[in-house]
Amino acid sequence: MKTPIRMLLAGSMLAIPAQVFAAPVEVTLWHMEQPPHRVERIQMLIDEFNAANPDITVSQEPQNWGEIYAKAPAALAAGTGPDMLFAIPDFAPILKEMGALTSLADFVAELDAEHDFVDSTVEAYSYDDGVWAVPLYNMTLNLWYRKSVFEEAGIDVPASWDEWRAAAETLTADGRFGMGLPANKQLYTDQTVYSVMVNGGASELYNEDGTLRFDNPETVAAYDFYNSMMEFSPPDATSWTWGEAEACFASASCGMVMQFTVISTYENQAEGDAADLGVAAIPTKDGSDDNATIAYANAVMLLSQEEAEREASKAFIRFLLQPENYGRFLNMEPGLFMPVTADGAEADSFWNDPVVQEYREQIETVIANGQNGKLFGFTSGRVFPAIAAISAQNVLAETLQSVVVSDMAPAEAVTAGQARMEDLSR
Amino acid sequence: MKRTMGWNLTLAAGLGFFVALVGLPFWWVVSGSFKLPQEIIARVPTMFPQSFTWQHYDKLLSSSDYGTYLVNSVFVSGLSAFLTLLLAIPAGYAFFRLEFRGRETWYRVILLAYAFPSIVVLIPLFTMFAKAGLVDTRLALIIVNVAFALPFAIWMLRSFFGSIPREIEEAARLDGGPPLTVLRRIMIPLTAPGIAAVAIFAFVTSWTEYVFASVMILSDAKRTIPVGFSGIIGQYQVDWGLLLAGASLAILPVVIVFALIGRWFVTGLTEGAVK
Amino acid sequence: MARNPILALAFVAPALLFLAAILAWPLVSAFLLSLQNVRGVGTSGQWVGFENYRFILTNGAFWDSAGLSLAWVLANAVLQTLLALAAALILHQKFPGVRVARTWIILTWIVPTVVVVMIWRWLFSTSGGMINPLMMQAGITDRPIGFFATPESAFATLVFINSWRWFPFIALMMLAGLTRIPSELYEAARIDGAGPVRRFTRITWPLLAPTLTVLLIIGTLLSFNVFDIIWLMTQGGPAGGTRTLPVLIYETAFRSYRMSEAATIAVLSTLLLMTFAIVATRSLARSGDER
Repeated sequence: MKTPIRMLLAGSMLAIPAQVFAAPVEVTLWHMEQPPHRVERIQMLIDEFNAANPDITVSQEPQNWGEIYAKAPAALAAGTGPDMLFAIPDFAPILKEMGALTSLADFVAELDAEHDFVDSTVEAYSYDDGVWAVPLYNMTLNLWYRKSVFEEAGIDVPASWDEWRAAAETLTADGRFGMGLPANKQLYTDQTVYSVMVNGGASELYNEDGTLRFDNPETVAAYDFYNSMMEFSPPDATSWTWGEAEACFASASCGMVMQFTVISTYENQAEGDAADLGVAAIPTKDGSDDNATIAYANAVMLLSQEEAEREASKAFIRFLLQPENYGRFLNMEPGLFMPVTADGAEADSFWNDPVVQEYREQIETVIANGQNGKLFGFTSGRVFPAIAAISAQNVLAETLQSVVVSDMAPAEAVTAGQARMEDLSR
Repeated sequence: MKRTMGWNLTLAAGLGFFVALVGLPFWWVVSGSFKLPQEIIARVPTMFPQSFTWQHYDKLLSSSDYGTYLVNSVFVSGLSAFLTLLLAIPAGYAFFRLEFRGRETWYRVILLAYAFPSIVVLIPLFTMFAKAGLVDTRLALIIVNVAFALPFAIWMLRSFFGSIPREIEEAARLDGGPPLTVLRRIMIPLTAPGIAAVAIFAFVTSWTEYVFASVMILSDAKRTIPVGFSGIIGQYQVDWGLLLAGASLAILPVVIVFALIGRWFVTGLTEGAVK
Repeated sequence: MARNPILALAFVAPALLFLAAILAWPLVSAFLLSLQNVRGVGTSGQWVGFENYRFILTNGAFWDSAGLSLAWVLANAVLQTLLALAAALILHQKFPGVRVARTWIILTWIVPTVVVVMIWRWLFSTSGGMINPLMMQAGITDRPIGFFATPESAFATLVFINSWRWFPFIALMMLAGLTRIPSELYEAARIDGAGPVRRFTRITWPLLAPTLTVLLIIGTLLSFNVFDIIWLMTQGGPAGGTRTLPVLIYETAFRSYRMSEAATIAVLSTLLLMTFAIVATRSLARSGDER
């Protein structure tokens, strides 16, 4: 990507500022928002930015989450990597270990002063005395249902685990499954498992000294409960990713699902009746109302080592987070990506989207639920590098599979899960 | 040749089984791509579409670079097939006809190339290609694909050359033709159907390759069909209609190619040489 | 014909050198990597000698995967041979439309693997998939089946999908072998009063065997190395039930970030396959000499 000539240009730009106007700085953005309509929306914003900043040329290359774990490190090691790369929390530590990241603490502080980030989103990238990426959008899991279906079955929105199970049992009838829950060894299952864990007092994976505390009675109780819900989930749930859960809900084969959103699928592939779509916080163990959820903040990392390219990248990120642009950026998938900034959550550009307007009530609930978001391995400032491998190997989901697929007792599986985590931390 | 009634029934049943095994999944995919989204995910799926829409194709073609992916795939596969032949024909002929020390050993060594788990090759090759400036080029894919197809191609060609009656070749040689001329004038024309089959083999190998194409290519404009197809599967959502349309369009080009030349592939494989 | 080593070299060397250039260096570098303790791609490590080999060979995960790989290769070989042989025998008959059938049976093989995976993922799913409702209508089951729900069923389903993709190609290779059997042999056998079964065991099978053996060897190597279908479908799950050696290699390298351990498994797999290939091709050459 960086031909010697371009590097020469970059170098000469630093030396002779007058040359800045001669050749625009070219920066490349890699992201994993590959569906065509998302790519299109990002391109629209890039075009606007490039037009307004003649000295910078941003271009995008969409990538696939499936390969990026192999591809990005290989490309960086070979010197063919991008200037900006989107990240999820467990991906950033890998690149940091490679020495590809420098702290963005000052830049994030600057943006925070201007836009006010949701704390948990910054927390997921803050460790080892640095902030390693700029949060861009937030995703939180919620409980989705149809109001009419609940009414017909005579059930209220569940508040406690017992009520939740009872609801799932009632809804399981006539070929319908009460609660679509995944048990795949995959990120989605990590997320759903952790969302149950945080509502059962098992939010911390680590003790303060960095030793693991995954193996504790609260975790075991959470796995036990999750396992008891599996009988109300379709039999292919062991191979589910997000899409299958959504399809199950959209086709009304599932009474409830735990999802970031179902809005665009519900709107485009199902009945699309906004008044009937219900969303609630994930029930807590004892039914108290301090519901928590997983917050999965996506962010952008700066990989370029050249000052000119870094500055150009920062200019683009500043542009994206401006309220008048930010909403349009988030609405590349309306109803899925939630704002990470306070002024973004109020921006007209966000609320003006027709789909967002139609589902305003649901989206407001999702944003409210996200206020108490947590992410496994990134809580209370107790973050340790091995979490990258623990996440990438989906140990939370793997542990669930031991219970659901291999019929291991939850306590035994959780002990084995902690041993696995220790092995990966070795 | 007469066949009994029972035998005919067995044959028909077997044929029916294979038609269903191969055909049904494709019927479901292609017919599904014209259904409305609601019908695609309906709890009770329909064998024949109850609705009809072009919307998935519209969306696919208006917002993704399917045309570009298609051109790339054809380019990469075509050139891979050509290079495979260029390397495999002389080698296949030499292994069949020319005598040299260690012929059998070398022949077997070539087949050993398949003993490498291709995953092993991925990262070292990436590093190697990066040094040579080949990462993110279609040439990188061509090189990899040729390496995959070559051993099998040599093996097939050797057996095709072997099916040519020795007398024909010897007559040509007695006329004073050097081996290269014999190969060019006599052997290649005689094994044309077999060569076509090998070319199609190499083409398809490269047409379907996914892992290397997804890692070696960084920019969207150089992607091949399989990688482009996997791109329309979003991380958090699946648009089944779009996927089915994408799958149909990924199948279509090879179906067209096969409608035109598929017959040769089969006769090439079965006969190898002009009798 | 006189020996002409220079000419032979000119004919064979390009192909050999090409393969060596693409494959030799990666293998050497994998071996070197296996003697270090490198973690993530692009990071560096120290030399640790054969420590990784000791660790991997005493590690249950490696042997589990090796066992699965063996089962994978065997199951695929059996299913594909059966399907392909049946298909080839049918396509060898004369009936109206046989040409069309011979051409289009190959359809499953010319479809990109990602598309194959997507097709079957969809067909087997419980939301919108065709297979479950069909089986429920036929009364085979009264409740949707999770084809990827248990390690065993996921493994079997993957074997089916992989065989579905490959059997037509093998069927055509077998058909090629069948058509090379002179029809006079069958005529003679028929005159001697041999029935179809006898004709198959006495003529078809023995004459087809050499082709089958080579196909089996290459097929074994190729199906051992199948990675994309498994990874895209199950990522080695559930509960490790489909984690064959190539999947384990990928997972160790890019999910656990232990490049050196992954390289060690890769070197061991290669040794395993090499041994198999050398033994198999040697016995092949011997049987070839006898002919």
